[in-house]
Amino acid sequence: MELIFFFLIAFMVSYLIRHYVFTFAALYHRCKQPGYIPNSIIYQPKVSVLIPARNEENVIRRILQRMTELTYPRQKLEVIVIDDASTDRTGEIAEEFAEKYDSIKVIHRNVEKSGRGKSGVLNDGLRHAKGDIIYCFDADYYPQRDILEKLTAYFTDPKVGAVQGRVTVLNEPNTLVTRLVTLERIGGYRVDQQARNSLGLIPQFGGTQGGFRRQLIESLGGFNPKMLAEDTDMTFRVYLAGYKVRYANEAECYEEAVENWNSYWRQRYRWAKGHMQCAFKHLWPLIKCKNLRLREKVDGFLLLNIYFVPVLIWLAWIIGIILCFSSPSPWFTFLLASMPLYAYSAVGNFAPFFEIGIGAYLDRRTRVCWLIPLLFVTFLYSTLICTKAFIDLCISKIKGEEQHAWLKTFHYGRGNDYIRNLNDNGQ
Amino acid sequence: MVSLLARNKQSFGPRRERPQYLHVAIGTVIALFVYPLLYGALEDSALISIILFNFLYVFTIFPLDGPLWRKVCLLLFGNMIGWAWNFIELSFAIIATYYFGDAFNIVHFIGGPIVNSIWIVAIWSLGLSTLSSEKP
Repeated sequence: MELIFFFLIAFMVSYLIRHYVFTFAALYHRCKQPGYIPNSIIYQPKVSVLIPARNEENVIRRILQRMTELTYPRQKLEVIVIDDASTDRTGEIAEEFAEKYDSIKVIHRNVEKSGRGKSGVLNDGLRHAKGDIIYCFDADYYPQRDILEKLTAYFTDPKVGAVQGRVTVLNEPNTLVTRLVTLERIGGYRVDQQARNSLGLIPQFGGTQGGFRRQLIESLGGFNPKMLAEDTDMTFRVYLAGYKVRYANEAECYEEAVENWNSYWRQRYRWAKGHMQCAFKHLWPLIKCKNLRLREKVDGFLLLNIYFVPVLIWLAWIIGIILCFSSPSPWFTFLLASMPLYAYSAVGNFAPFFEIGIGAYLDRRTRVCWLIPLLFVTFLYSTLICTKAFIDLCISKIKGEEQHAWLKTFHYGRGNDYIRNLNDNGQ
Repeated sequence: MVSLLARNKQSFGPRRERPQYLHVAIGTVIALFVYPLLYGALEDSALISIILFNFLYVFTIFPLDGPLWRKVCLLLFGNMIGWAWNFIELSFAIIATYYFGDAFNIVHFIGGPIVNSIWIVAIWSLGLSTLSSEKP
């Protein structure tokens, strides 16, 4: 039991060290790795933008309007809206835009095929796409006008298979949940992704606000419809195929974050379960893979296991308490007393408080730091979400179920007011 | 074959700083100096909390740009808060044990570290927010 406890603590400390290294790298590391591409380069091949949409009438007009305002050359841009049998006006609104603009196309999916997740929708879009580079944007996103130029520049490196931009929250002031999600996004993108990119590790393709080579995705057979986290799955498939994912911090896109705890649960539960699926699928191939360097393997290992950490924290806490009462020693007391800090450093959408703080500092948004102590709430909530996802996944593995229910995040379109403000300010 | 058509006039570079190693060294000395002062005056879990706070604060805040005096003041302020927090927590624990019996000791033992971690995070955040100004 003592051995298990020490192993669990060592596991958590490894995440603490990892995040400290990331924080330090985001602050001080300069991109010196071979193949670094200065992002002032413009490379403009034909690109396709896929926008999967299911019942998104509150937000679809916003992103389609934005697509017409992009600075990327119109003759090299193709926008494909994949309407996943919406029961609201999503398809109708998309058709209005398609009639008005040649670059916009709409695909309507059958009701029989619909509602089974994003992977299938994206695969349908891929069949119609003609671009050399394929981008994905969720319907609630609102990108910068020159985002495609910024992202596409990274594909000048032939080793780059996919690129991911930065996501920032549009409806930040709405509720406490949106404010806490903003903190998570700052830590996750500004520090975590940036550091992984700078250190030549494994930046994650986020499934939206990013793109990949069409040739590569075709050779991989498209997105796997059985995976709930098709983005994490794609990240590892890209790396296992010998390509890299790059992160472009300068390519920003607004998203409408979940606004209440119920939606937060649904979204994070899907992420947790999907991520754990990926861990089961990719851990062994990752360890065996000869295309990857040791540091990429270590980072990949830690990345794949991150959603298991909350489950292990519960376990370590229980074992630690039993050990402290059964065989009290100063060491156990020390480890148990310091455990909340390790836990704090590993959960909260898996960016620790100091990482988030430094992200806010780098963004010159120091006032948001005042909310960091409240991340303890998301920490506790995340431990419950991940534990439930883990138990459910184990049950479905025992039952032999391969298809998992896709819990869609509903968007209220409350970010539209902020977009109007941004436009009024000329951004 | 990739063709480089032009160069964008805009250039985007993430903000970079140089770590203030001298500040870290001074912070480490101060943190080490504080430890013997507090040893024996606090219970174990509170002392561990303060050591963790000092470690995190010195290695994450001290390397940043900003005046050294402000960093040192906030480090000492954090230690004082840790000490006061421990005093309040112990008083509360004694009173609670008097009313609820020894069962509360178990609750205190289990929940104490979690409660301690909250002040660490709060004071760390406060320290960081005083170091740089908000983006205009």
